[in-house]
This record gives sequence, C-alpha cells and structure tokens, in this order.
Amino acid sequence: MAVINNRNFLLLLRLIVGGVFIWAAVTKIADPLAFAQDVRNYRLVGQTLSFLTAIVLPWVELIAGICLIIGVFPRSSALLISGLLVFFIVLVAVTMLRGIDVDCGCFGTFSRKADLWLILEDSVWLALSLVLLFSPANDFCLLKRSPKTS
Amino acid sequence: MNLKQILRDGETWKGIIIILALSLVIGTVSNLGLIKKFLQGEFRRAFFTSADYPGLVFITLPEMEELWHNQKAVIVDSRPASEFRRGHVPNAISVPMEEVKSGNYGLLERLSPGQPLIIYCEGGDCLTSLNLARLLYGRGFRDLRVFSGGWAEWLAAGLPVEKEDGGY
Repeated sequence: MAVINNRNFLLLLRLIVGGVFIWAAVTKIADPLAFAQDVRNYRLVGQTLSFLTAIVLPWVELIAGICLIIGVFPRSSALLISGLLVFFIVLVAVTMLRGIDVDCGCFGTFSRKADLWLILEDSVWLALSLVLLFSPANDFCLLKRSPKTS
Repeated sequence: MNLKQILRDGETWKGIIIILALSLVIGTVSNLGLIKKFLQGEFRRAFFTSADYPGLVFITLPEMEELWHNQKAVIVDSRPASEFRRGHVPNAISVPMEEVKSGNYGLLERLSPGQPLIIYCEGGDCLTSLNLARLLYGRGFRDLRVFSGGWAEWLAAGLPVEKEDGGY
C-alpha cells in the first residue's frame, strides 16, 4: 500500500494511463470516419449511433486523459476512464462470443484484433486506473479542493 | 476513499459532466463538415466519402438483377465458402473475405481490375462485401458495385439460386 500511495508512483501512473488515452484519442480524432466504421463493425449499433460515437468518444478520451495528467478533476477522469475500460472489456468479450472478427479500433490505424489478449491488456489498464481512482491523488491537482471533514 | 464515497461526491459528477459536455461541444464543432454531410444523407450505408472511393457505388436489387441477367459484371460472393456452397447467385465467384483477411490473397487473382465487379455478402448488417470492395479499390479496381441487400434480399425475391453441385 505504501507503494500505491507513493506520490511519484501515482504521478507516473497518471502519466502512463492518461498518455495512453490521449494517444488512443488522437489516432481516432485524426480519422473520425475510419473510427465510425470500426464502431459499426462491432454490429452493436447502427450507422447513426456509430457516427455519434466517433464524433464524441475520442474527445472524452482526450479530455479525460489530459485532466488525469494535469490533475483537473482527477477522480472524475479516473472514474470515466475506468468506466470506459469496463465497457471495452465487456464489448470485446461479447463480440468474441458472437463470433464476430473485428479490429478493435482502439488506436486508429494501429489497431489490432479484438481478442482475448486485448481483454487482458484492457484489464491491466483498468487495474491501473482503479489504483488512481481509489488513491489519495489530490496532492498533484492543479485545482486543489479544500479539505472536507466527514 | 471507497467507491460509495466517490459516487456520492458531487465533485466527481461535476467533473464527469464537464468532461462529457466539453467533449460533446468540441467533437461537434471540430466535425461540423462531417455532421453536415451526415445530415444530408451521406454515410448511411458506409463511412466514406464518394471522393475517397470514386467508382465504388451501392446498387439495389433491380440493378443487381439486371446486371446479372445481362451478364454485364462479374459477381463476387464475399461470404464464407461454406455459405457459398449452400447456395449463391448463379455464376458468382466465391472470394470469402475472411480468407482474404487471413492472408489468402491468391483468391483475388481470379479477378481482373478491368472488369466491373458486383460484390455481395449475407445482407442486413454484413460488412464483408464493403470491406472487400475497399480492399480491391486499394489494389487498383475502379468499377466496384456493392449489392447491399445481399444474399438475404436475393433469396427473398425468389431469384435463381445455384448450389455447389451446379444445380439451380
């Protein structure tokens, strides 16, 4: 627990998790139509919802990643990122169960197949973001909250 | 902090709402051009602009039937080989997209870029016909038609079916 609550360790975690989400977002923002097609390929939602997802989701990833790194709403960012990762894991698992063979669409043109390895990889990212979610990480916030008595 | 405290904390939700609202605004503003095209009816069948793939068009059942009847195009079935064996559009060539994706590019050698091609898959929300069309476009094919109604629409219309043994 001492390591997990170590300030430098937490800052490093935030840089890594936030950085990965920023990178993932940038590759999608660069080509929204390709990402929309990736979303559509999962055959979970239709054209309209795929399009809307491609317009908004990359920006959620980008802003949450930036917020996590610079420490603005770090807990909200960690919760959003954790929620997204849980969703991605369930999505890939369901897609595999349905026997659909797709590229994950996670990193634009650098994407790989949505398979068991991807679930494991996302689980690692989820574990790291959960550490951030439950850690007293406010030391590094640009916007510090006044301490509350509870 | 435990999960219950985090979820009860108004600051957490304030942050989430701000991040989501910002994403919605920036995503919308930065994609106004695409949104306009979407509202005008583009991307309803696939997410590419006609400028990206000139020569790739979608055709309806009557167009498909006419081209098939007049033998004006080579018909390509992108479904798995097992599906093709169970029944396909007469004279269609089987080029299963799943096999092409696995690296069997030899299947594409049966097609010539000079020929007009019609590609179809299962129908409904199947995507292999479109994916095969895009792949062929990248290999120099420029006369590509995707029959989006696919096998389901052909079958439902009661049109001729060819099976593995060659019978109709």
